[in-house]
Amino acid sequence: MRFVFCMVLRELRASWRRLLFFFMCVAVGVGTVVALRSTIQSVALAMASETRALTAADVTIESEQPWSEVALSIINDTLAEEPEVERTASVEMTTMARPEDESKAVARVVELRAVEAAFPFYGTFVLDGGHDYRHAHLSGGGALVRPELLAQLGVTVGDNVVIGEIAFEIRGVILQEPGGQLGAFSFGPRVLIDRADLISTGLLGPGVRAERQFLVRVPEERIATLVTRLRERLGEEFIRVRSYRNTEDRLARNLSRAENYLSLVGFVIVMLGGIGVWSVTRVFVQQRIRSVAILKCLGATNRQVLAIYVTQVLVLGLLGSMLGVALAGGLLAFLPGSLSESVTMPVGMAELSYRLTISAVVQGVGVGIFVSLLFALGPLLEVSTIKPLSLLRWGLVPTTSWDWKQIAVVVALVVGLITLASWQAASWEAGLWVCGGFAVVAVVLHLAGQAFTQVIQWVGARVRFPVQYAVLNLARPGNQTRVILLAVGLGSFLIIGIHSVQANLVNAFALEVREDSPDMFLIDIQQNQADGVIAFLSERLDSVPSLLPVLRARVTGVTGQQTTITSVAGVRRRGVGREYTVTYRDRLEANERVVEGAFWEGRLSNQEEVFEVSVEESVRDRLQLMIGDVLRFDILGREISATVSSVRAVDWDDSRSGGFMFLFRPGALEDAPHTFISFIQGPTESVTRATLQRELVDRFPNVSAIDGLEILRTFRRMLDYATVAISAVGGIAFFSGGLILAGSVAMTKYQRLYETAILKTLGATSRSIALMLAVEYCTLGAVAGLIGSFGALGLTWGLTKFLLEIHWVPLPSANLAGFAFTLFTVGVLGVTANWDVLWAKPLRMLRGD
Amino acid sequence: MIKLRNVSKTVMSGSENLTIVQPLDLAVEAGDYVSIVGPSGSGKSTLLGLIAGLDLPTTGEIRIDGVEITTLDEDELAELRGRKIGFVFQFFHLVPSLTAFENVSIPLEIGRVKSANARAETLLAEVGLEDRAHHYPSQLSGGEQQRVAIARALANEPPILLADEPTGNLDSGSGRQIVDLVHRVQRSRGTTVILVTHDIELAGSADYILRMRDGKAERVEPKNSGQEGV
Repeated sequence: MRFVFCMVLRELRASWRRLLFFFMCVAVGVGTVVALRSTIQSVALAMASETRALTAADVTIESEQPWSEVALSIINDTLAEEPEVERTASVEMTTMARPEDESKAVARVVELRAVEAAFPFYGTFVLDGGHDYRHAHLSGGGALVRPELLAQLGVTVGDNVVIGEIAFEIRGVILQEPGGQLGAFSFGPRVLIDRADLISTGLLGPGVRAERQFLVRVPEERIATLVTRLRERLGEEFIRVRSYRNTEDRLARNLSRAENYLSLVGFVIVMLGGIGVWSVTRVFVQQRIRSVAILKCLGATNRQVLAIYVTQVLVLGLLGSMLGVALAGGLLAFLPGSLSESVTMPVGMAELSYRLTISAVVQGVGVGIFVSLLFALGPLLEVSTIKPLSLLRWGLVPTTSWDWKQIAVVVALVVGLITLASWQAASWEAGLWVCGGFAVVAVVLHLAGQAFTQVIQWVGARVRFPVQYAVLNLARPGNQTRVILLAVGLGSFLIIGIHSVQANLVNAFALEVREDSPDMFLIDIQQNQADGVIAFLSERLDSVPSLLPVLRARVTGVTGQQTTITSVAGVRRRGVGREYTVTYRDRLEANERVVEGAFWEGRLSNQEEVFEVSVEESVRDRLQLMIGDVLRFDILGREISATVSSVRAVDWDDSRSGGFMFLFRPGALEDAPHTFISFIQGPTESVTRATLQRELVDRFPNVSAIDGLEILRTFRRMLDYATVAISAVGGIAFFSGGLILAGSVAMTKYQRLYETAILKTLGATSRSIALMLAVEYCTLGAVAGLIGSFGALGLTWGLTKFLLEIHWVPLPSANLAGFAFTLFTVGVLGVTANWDVLWAKPLRMLRGD
Repeated sequence: MIKLRNVSKTVMSGSENLTIVQPLDLAVEAGDYVSIVGPSGSGKSTLLGLIAGLDLPTTGEIRIDGVEITTLDEDELAELRGRKIGFVFQFFHLVPSLTAFENVSIPLEIGRVKSANARAETLLAEVGLEDRAHHYPSQLSGGEQQRVAIARALANEPPILLADEPTGNLDSGSGRQIVDLVHRVQRSRGTTVILVTHDIELAGSADYILRMRDGKAERVEPKNSGQEGV
């Protein structure tokens, strides 16, 4: 033990300069992992608080029916099991509001929300005039309202509005509201009142459609358990339980995509660091062959010798990791300044702060040591094949035949890498993809290296010194060709791959929140106002808006081939008991496609025909519907039956045309009383926007214009965070990858010190040696860049298609730039790394100093 | 002490077998001083390597203190060398990254000798290099490096010292110093010494000489037998 310890210290003392690159590889790799992990966690935290602000709670329990005794008792009991829990009740309903002053305009539909003092748990209200929100605004008959209502009713702050039978004093105007359900369809402007007052309005009577909610705050780690537990126990109660991290939420999907991507980038950098570690260790071991042989000759066992070098790797891995953590700390301290432009949060939203997190640090150091060991193990095993006899017969190379130890190391390396990749990307699929790509490129590079050295010998015989020497250098015994091809080829493969994935990801984000996404919703347009509204909007907007007819409907029964449901309760049990907004039209929208059956052509010919309905695929799954099954609906108190003629898949991410669970064939519902809605993109300039809303209301008093701009902006802002983070990460990846490649190339310098000295002794000028080096390294760079670039194309395709599930766009310019960059980098680095060799006195090198 | 029976070594040279050491029997008693001489390529160093367990013979068996070493694995051989065999090379083979003192310490540390430092200092003093203890090999002359190598070979007081042309890379003055040192060690400690050399004068100071030619060994008595060593 003492021997091993002493030798480790002596070796490190003697070789620290050469091992500096090992150290730096680990530091850069770990620094990136820690910085990325911390960034991910900070961004996730900021995004989580934004997402929480949209639901105002960690967990929401919702019911459209009054709470039953059983449900209340289950909820109370389940929440009582939580060690740390807070809850508040809230009610949301659609109702009418009118000014108390009877001379003013007619009543309007509003979305009423009644809350308690604890509301909201997350997010903050932004009130007009910069006032702070307090529950006192609501207590004792107060109300906060959206500005649209003021315009629609012609009232101002201080006036009273009547809801039900009670007059509420308008005490403020809500500009931004937490707990406004993201993407939920809204019938009118928000009015917020005290829940205690709701009881006295008489609105919450039996049979009134209202959504009762419990908003719950629990520690993050308890959320999933609580949701599962509540869902299991409330299974029979038609109660919806969801967490702010509802996976069906498209925002969550984007978040997890970004998270996967960032983690994967971290892993890729670590892999690059690993390649650097492998390259250094390999050169290091080659330089240590004689010392190892001496130690063995003096009585050291294989185990002792291996322990010396493995301990060195561990020490370097640990020190490198610690430096990496320090680098990450520095980087994160610098980040907010550089990114503040892009990530400035609006008033009322959480500040996005980047700082090191303990878990990221622990993970980074663990990864650093693990990768150091994993990548160094292969070259280190060569130590055990070194024979002491080589001291007597110099030139004896370690045996190259495979033994069980080498096979075990390869297996450990493969399993270790896949595990590491999967852990970092939180997905086995991603781990396998990256490692598979890595392996394929490595094999291709290896084979290319072999073929290349064969071809190059033929070429070498046909050119003159120094090009001839450079070319033959690539094929001579003990050459670095395959090593550099492998290290640089894999490096460029990963860097170009990351860049292309990044571009594809950002592109996908831009698609999801398109510039032409609608940001204003008009509702309650009467049938006789439809033409007028279209004309009004056409004058003021760039495009002619389309109106969608909407009705409210409930499914009351199913007569099908697989399922027959005769009661509303039965329908509820299948999760489709709520009231749906339905429409009719004779065409599919851009975000719809038929997955089963056939979509109708034209209208129903006459009223006698059976009605036809097209259902969304989740409805088919819940009700186990088949084409030809009959659904019964309650539409405005009238029961109708409709045959399911098709099933549609709706891309809910594309919000331009909205989405409907039930779509009827035209000809059936036109005569039923219904209204129209319209999704439009209003003016972005606030005064013009307000004018449009005001004029619209003046002209069509019953039409409500719901402003979705804030929600859309919140969406865009969140995606902006992800985009900024991804771009920053791409930059870090590029920089650190370049650094590691540089080092890998530079390490080969030690291989040529001796021969350069001999060449100079034989009369070669520094200029011809420089030319020789340039030709040698540029050729290597070109081959590595070419293979890496093609490999990256495959990697990007696989990752975008299978992991990120986004549209793949090949980027030839990125691949070409990657190829040129690799060629240039390797060429320049090869020459500059050997710069001192060019000018050093040969005698020093020949004496082996 | 050292017994070789029917030991030979054949290697592949291209597609043909080349016998470097023809089958030979040899017995070296404790405290003997044996020289192996012969032209280049006659198999001297190979024979020495076989005795040190650095290589496996093609046929025959080698016993050191009764232990058959051809059946030992690499680690067992390493331990055996650590305890019983000191080896001196023509090219010194000091670890370049370690000082003279540290080079001498290695076998002591491997053998877990408690007073390793003191012993290393004593050994360096014995070879007259106490002032150069903290110099690296590149800072020492060839003769000094070889003296460090001898001190290292003697660190664990091995009963056997094998030297492969220890003066082959030195000028005559330095070579003489080394020979004196080896003699002194052999006499004062009773160490068995097997020395490979081209130097007839150096070989002549041995108890007997093994002359090798084309892989065959022949025992001859030294001309200056019975004289004091140089």
